[in-house]
Amino acid sequence: MDTLLNAEEREFAQKMRQFYRTEIPEELRFKVATGQELTKEDMVTSQRILNQHGFAVPNWPVEWGGQDWTPVQRHIWLEEMQLACVPQPLPFNVSMVGPVIATFGSQEIKERFLPATANIDIWWSQGFSEPDAGSDLASLKTSAVRDGDKYIVNGQKTWTTLGQYGDWMFNLVRTDPNVKKQAGISFLLIDMKTPGVTVRPIQLIDGGHEVNEVFFDNVEVPVENLVGEENKGWTYAKFLLGNERTGIARIGGSKVNLARAKAYAAVTKTARGTLLDDPLFSARLTRIEAELTALEMTQLRILSTQAAGSDKPDPRSSVLKLKGSQLQEDISELLVDVLGPQGLDFVTDRAQGEGLSDLPLGAVDALPAYFNTRKVTIYGGSSEVQRGIISKALLGL
Amino acid sequence: MDLELNDIQQELASTLNKYLRSEYDTQAREAILHSEEGISREKWEAFAEMGLLGLAIPENYGGAEMTFAEVAVVLEAFGRSLVLEPFLATAVLGANAIAAAGSEEQKQEILPSVCEGQTFLAFAALEPGLRYAVDAPSTTASAGADGAFTISGEKNGVLGGDVADQFIVTASENGELGLFLVAATATGVSRVTHRQADGQGSASVKFDNAPAQRLGAADAHAVVAELLDTANAAIMAEAVGVMEASLTMTAEYLKTREQFGAPIGANQALQHRAADLYADLEYARSMALYSRLAVTNEEAGSEKDRHRDVIAAKIIIDQSARTISQESIQMHGGIGMTMEYPIGHYAKRLTVISRTFDDADSLTAELAEIGGLIEPQAADLN
Repeated sequence: MDTLLNAEEREFAQKMRQFYRTEIPEELRFKVATGQELTKEDMVTSQRILNQHGFAVPNWPVEWGGQDWTPVQRHIWLEEMQLACVPQPLPFNVSMVGPVIATFGSQEIKERFLPATANIDIWWSQGFSEPDAGSDLASLKTSAVRDGDKYIVNGQKTWTTLGQYGDWMFNLVRTDPNVKKQAGISFLLIDMKTPGVTVRPIQLIDGGHEVNEVFFDNVEVPVENLVGEENKGWTYAKFLLGNERTGIARIGGSKVNLARAKAYAAVTKTARGTLLDDPLFSARLTRIEAELTALEMTQLRILSTQAAGSDKPDPRSSVLKLKGSQLQEDISELLVDVLGPQGLDFVTDRAQGEGLSDLPLGAVDALPAYFNTRKVTIYGGSSEVQRGIISKALLGL
Repeated sequence: MDLELNDIQQELASTLNKYLRSEYDTQAREAILHSEEGISREKWEAFAEMGLLGLAIPENYGGAEMTFAEVAVVLEAFGRSLVLEPFLATAVLGANAIAAAGSEEQKQEILPSVCEGQTFLAFAALEPGLRYAVDAPSTTASAGADGAFTISGEKNGVLGGDVADQFIVTASENGELGLFLVAATATGVSRVTHRQADGQGSASVKFDNAPAQRLGAADAHAVVAELLDTANAAIMAEAVGVMEASLTMTAEYLKTREQFGAPIGANQALQHRAADLYADLEYARSMALYSRLAVTNEEAGSEKDRHRDVIAAKIIIDQSARTISQESIQMHGGIGMTMEYPIGHYAKRLTVISRTFDDADSLTAELAEIGGLIEPQAADLN
């Protein structure tokens, strides 16, 4: 798609490509390329290198380390990062809490948190979802009751991704239970080392520990940890979720994963040749390739109108989320099918030892990734939520 | 990066849409559909006056010397109104064939007349018993004395062949593919005319030692390949117009049709399916644009990518066309089955489009065969 870019954009893409492939350690990029799990240290290392060069938080205001880029440049930044298999900066820091603090926080709170957030000196966790507040987020119950110069927080958050590494947590809490549910919510920052905060792991079907429950039992939080105004949290949350949806199509990542499945299929023998020559498999693969191209063109079309001047969030980005997440799932399934009978065991190593041959490439990650990827049609506004947005905002139903 | 229509294209779209809304509404179209010829020569003249028939034809042959991008704008508008006249056959396939392969004399003879709306053309490539393949026709061309040729063979599915004044015929001359020009009134030419399901005209044509002129000495394979790639991009632009109108109409119906005391569009089951159609339409728009960019790319060596990209686009467009046409009827319920109500006509056009020039299954096989769109690559595999 490089041919669609103008000369400056092409040059910018070339610059980013070069940067990612020379400055980010090969070892980290190899891990991402081959579906290995990243450690906390891996993610911190990568983000700090990006931050040193001004590439960790380009979406932030310039005075806080952001870049004065066009929407197309931001797209290229992310796309090239994914194509180069660079571990992405922690979304909780760079696309969630950072922009909220930068946009709605006091000068004091900005100075206190933004530099450390960009450099991942603070690892942020997200405290939005609750057991009874998923897609209907505004019905959340975790309460924060003002007591002098502090809030007393009680309740439970869930699906807290990588909360086991978290230093701080940004939360939606109910500060006024007596008004319309959206009107009584505040955005509160909580130090996870505060007494009364308990993080409990949730085991997922992929065999890993990615998400957690977080319990708050009479947790005392200083009022200066409130972002913006009390009871305005829903406005900030909508702003944050709008940011989350851009780039959620993960086109670059899908290209890498699809190229990988295709490469493995080409060396996988079947009863009738290679798997890549199998008519049904290759038809499925080929349609996915065409769909990924359609998704990318759709993203570029939306970007093109943004570049032409409208900076409002485009409801068509729901199409990107809906289609992009489905494609990620389809591609993860493709890799499982490449492995066939050899990908059905949960193993931690391809080597079997004792004179046995190694399991095929992808045998460790294909199946866990397949199960893990079920999440992408659920998080960030489920596919059903996206369809609701499309039918209301775009079709007027 | 700018993927939007430019000012001239926007102006063209808006003028044409306005014209079609007032002069080519459902009643007007219905009358044309039921006329003897199935097309309106009056409308064709109007298109000629608006300069639509020679948009991409060079100025010295009477055209406007614009690009395929403007032609695509016209087709999208035509799709929205289900225009029945053989624009694709004459102004795209026919005119492009003459422009690409014709001699100076042939161009002077035919192209100005196309621009003025005086000549209908048709590209006769498909043959009975061979599905979609056009590279090795059974129809033969024989050279006679003084450089004249005669053509013998049978063509079918000739789009616009019902009214064509001239056929551009693919034929083998000593085993080599060639393009030939045959007048419809020539001796040895007979045709049976058909109406496609969408109301557009076609024909089966028999050539029995029919006198013909050779169309140029250019590489016929390359000409035919480009001709079909461009025609495919054109029909995709039209498909977008048809799909957009279908979805607009369907959404409107969901808002106004009441059952159980409420608009049926209040049902989430229908809202979510309509949302999927919207997403499919966005994909179709993206890929129509993708194919348009592919056929207007003039960089040297882009031919291979051009064909690959056009195929990929048509696979997606056909998929969207299928879903949107079928779901539009379903969401309209019984009324969608009637000839009286427009939605079925849109569905019929989409049904035909997704089987014109080639279909999604065979294109998928072809795209896979040429290696697809993404290079296989794994960091742990060399």
